[in-house]
Amino acid sequence: MRVNCWTIGRRTVQAAVLLLLASPILGWRGFEGNLGSASLSGILLSDPLATLQVFLLTGGLALPLLIGSASVLAVYGVLGGRFFCGWICPVGLLTDLSDRLPGRRNRPSWRLGWKGLVLTLTLLFSLLLGLPVFETLSPIGIAGRALSFGPGAEVILLALIVACELLLVRRLWCRSLCPLGGFYALLGRMAPLKVGYRRERCIHCGRCRRVCFVPEVLAPPLEEGATLVQSGECSRCGACIGTCPVSALALHFSKP
Amino acid sequence: MSRTKDKSSLALGARGALVGGGAVWFLLKAGSGYGWRLRPPGAVAEDEFLKKCLRCGRCAHVCPYQAVQMGRLETGVALGTPLIVARKNPCRLCADLPCVKACPSGALDPELKEALKTRMGTAVIVERQECLSLKGLRCEVCYRVCPAIDKAITVENYLKAKTGRHAIFEPVVHKEHCTGCGICEQACVLERPAIVVRPLQAPSESWYEG
Repeated sequence: MRVNCWTIGRRTVQAAVLLLLASPILGWRGFEGNLGSASLSGILLSDPLATLQVFLLTGGLALPLLIGSASVLAVYGVLGGRFFCGWICPVGLLTDLSDRLPGRRNRPSWRLGWKGLVLTLTLLFSLLLGLPVFETLSPIGIAGRALSFGPGAEVILLALIVACELLLVRRLWCRSLCPLGGFYALLGRMAPLKVGYRRERCIHCGRCRRVCFVPEVLAPPLEEGATLVQSGECSRCGACIGTCPVSALALHFSKP
Repeated sequence: MSRTKDKSSLALGARGALVGGGAVWFLLKAGSGYGWRLRPPGAVAEDEFLKKCLRCGRCAHVCPYQAVQMGRLETGVALGTPLIVARKNPCRLCADLPCVKACPSGALDPELKEALKTRMGTAVIVERQECLSLKGLRCEVCYRVCPAIDKAITVENYLKAKTGRHAIFEPVVHKEHCTGCGICEQACVLERPAIVVRPLQAPSESWYEG
């Protein structure tokens, strides 16, 4: 079997994120916080969706939050929003790995577009309840806190997600439900880093679609001859690039 | 895509949204947990705190005593927010207030610069019948450990009315100086502490309505 070097690189980055999140247990001082908001040796980072919820609820923003989310938006503005889903998010890692377990192969998958609805509902409920709803229930936050401070009863939510995905719907959370994924997908279209496609090389073997967790994004290039994967849903995870036997796919910086 | 398929998936989406929304409402509104909690220094009023706190845990990361814990599922809406369980591990009122400095969102008010100006709550002697000092013994442990000794807790002595001979050395809390750190609650020698931290004001009505 051919080794997918993109996947190896991605797993390394994901493991590094897990180690950073576990820094209180490991006794490191360089990193504090989680994927909601953090300081990495002095660099402020904040989840822009969390910032948006706080802004909607309080009508104002603290300066560190503003700086933190601006730097995160700047990074994902170049790399593509769902770069987070493919390379950083611990829930993405969990569901990606569990999807590779042997088991039922013919699970259906749901539409990508639902994330937008969940995102709208999340913001609406935040206003109604006076709570940042996603920050409170987010499995990403739960996973981060479990790594930093040890797991509590709330990790049952993570188990529930994995169980639903293994038994009912393929990659349900990351594809169709995660409001943060939906938020970043909006950002992804504008980002210059994109997967490029060279039709003259492609042998239509279909491997790229099999490894991609959002294979819908590959339809325009493969079926309609587009030269780029334009969709914001693409996580730039590189799985398709690594698996392509004829190098028909590659990452490009393109003009938006 | 055919029209019928479009329609049926729309109905499915509506049902999904209804179920999901119902679950969130049940978890966050009908659920328990809208009560008072001991928050880290500088915490803004509870309803404001729940809006501002990002649940990022940076205050807990930097606490040198690991006194700041993250709310677990059983705390209801406080899931993921920082809280202090004074009896187990009270706030030590670090002079440089690292938790306040770490907070990115202002849920812990950055205007707080002096540890002794913290007002997390106030100590209250809730078990007057159990308090050893009030029984006439020279305990006064709460007074000795208080970081604002002789201000937040003083010892008032008077003659025991019953005998007219024995003195009582009563620890008295002065709410206006008490930081609510909970060090007295942890130090109380009784199995169930006679002195505990309570809110400075009763929480607003809306927190009781649920």
